[in-house]
Amino acid sequence: MRRIYSIGGGKGGSGKSFIAASLGILLAKHGKRVVLVDLDLGASNLHTLLGMQIPEKGLDSYVDKTASHLGDVALTTTVPNLYLISSTRCSLEIANLFYAQKLKIISAIKTLPFDYILLDLGPGTNFNTLDFFLIAREGFFVTTPEPTAIENTFIFMKSVYLRKLKLSLKEANLWHTYQEEIAKLSRGAFKSPLDLINILIARDPEKGRVFEELLSNLEFRLILNKFRGQVNENLGEQLVEVCNRHLYPSFSFLGNVSYDNRVYESVLARNIFINKYPYTKTVSNLQNMVRNLTGEQQESLRVKVQQ
Amino acid sequence: MIKKFEDFNYYELLRISYNASSFEVRQAYKHMLAIYEENSLATYSLFTEDERKLILSKIEDAFMILIDDEKRKAYDNDLVNAGEAPDNLLTAREKKKAIPIYQTSKARANNNSLARIKKKIREKEAGDLTATMLRGDQISGKDLKNVRESLGIELEEIFQVTKISPTALAAIEKDDVANLPPKIYLISFLKAYAEALQLDPRQIVEGYIKNIS
Ligand SMILES: Nc1ncnc2c1ncn2[C@@H]1O[C@H](COP(=O)(O)OP(=O)(O)O)[C@@H](O)[C@H]1O
Ligand SMILES: [Mg+2]
Repeated sequence: MRRIYSIGGGKGGSGKSFIAASLGILLAKHGKRVVLVDLDLGASNLHTLLGMQIPEKGLDSYVDKTASHLGDVALTTTVPNLYLISSTRCSLEIANLFYAQKLKIISAIKTLPFDYILLDLGPGTNFNTLDFFLIAREGFFVTTPEPTAIENTFIFMKSVYLRKLKLSLKEANLWHTYQEEIAKLSRGAFKSPLDLINILIARDPEKGRVFEELLSNLEFRLILNKFRGQVNENLGEQLVEVCNRHLYPSFSFLGNVSYDNRVYESVLARNIFINKYPYTKTVSNLQNMVRNLTGEQQESLRVKVQQ
Repeated sequence: MIKKFEDFNYYELLRISYNASSFEVRQAYKHMLAIYEENSLATYSLFTEDERKLILSKIEDAFMILIDDEKRKAYDNDLVNAGEAPDNLLTAREKKKAIPIYQTSKARANNNSLARIKKKIREKEAGDLTATMLRGDQISGKDLKNVRESLGIELEEIFQVTKISPTALAAIEKDDVANLPPKIYLISFLKAYAEALQLDPRQIVEGYIKNIS
């Protein structure tokens, strides 16, 4: 079964691309067919993290119809089973995609012929970023333990919910009915997506529940990157608890990823960090996540319980 | 339907089960303080100062009620009555508890005051008295105070029996709306107050709420 993960979080530099690349590499090493899609249009850099030069084809070739299938522009990488769809050649203009182009990209991504499709997103909360993030039912939020990064991540999370609700209402031809009320609430920087849902439920309980269900269908995981010893080790769990209580109950904690100086050094030298330093804490953190995602951990737990 | 944080009851607020032990209550309290305290990174940017204060005071209340056996029972009762918690909640926890071999001194003191109050009420033939004093469908804190005083019962004795803090009792008797506890406790406090004076809890609760609203 195809699984799509989007990797976002409000702030630039929190390590979204590093995490996306690393998870992609490790999943590929587990024998899965993986494609990384660089959706940070205008500032893409996944290729660098994979030790590649600027690619000669990518998303642009699909948008300008040089390639008829998005899968055709997936590049091989030095890691077997791992592919990259780059967007380096998408000029800055394409960062403001036409709506129809965006839809075309979105539906093409959903049907890419791979086991795992990982979407690396840019910073900020513009509509393109949110819409790309929402391609996946499973979203990862990457933050660092800095207050500003956490703040931006909360803002991004809220924007994702608001966008999801808006798109779903539009799809159900109900947007105009609620537009004003929801706009009013979101202008006042709404506290929780539940406030929005409650508006719908108050007006029409049955339909409201349907939308509640829709939001509940999203599955979000938090990753705390650049983790250092002096940070409270419960921070990740605490953040998830806060998200579940104050935003929407769809979050779980995927884990900490330790800070390591050598990440920067390897990016600079176009080395793949995971390959160069496989026995670091950082890599072992990432490996645990992948085990968790592929269900291996549950498997070994089950074995333990049975013994 | 997903409950909003603002609507959480004390168990949900501390994220513990209805039959959590006092140890669990204490742990949960510490855990929640760590999340919501002023400099917590997890909620740093999420709340205004006022919102944070409100949440912290609610956590404080939750702890104070749930850690106190008597208060917790009264609170549980209210949850059950409000249909928020399953009605086997009360008996379920009772069953888990060991049967005490002897009464604690606190329980004895409690019984003593109760006996004293009962005696006073008997001596005064309070039935007629209260009937005239609590006429009408609105009952003020002053009415309650009058009844209590005419029965010769001290506020302290009510505290002994109900374990409702004297400040809360005083607020009730003064109709001090600003300092009254939230409605859900107020109701349980009024019930306990009424029962201590052998008044009809329902009449008192209804009359009092009507008078202040
Ligand atoms: N765990 C880590 N330890 C040390 N440096 C890291 C770590 N994760 C990311 N970095 C560094 O942070 C910088 C930003 O990472 P990047 O993945 O490009 O962030 P984003 O995609 O969120 O903007 C990179 O230069 C990378 O070297
Ligand atoms: Mg990036």
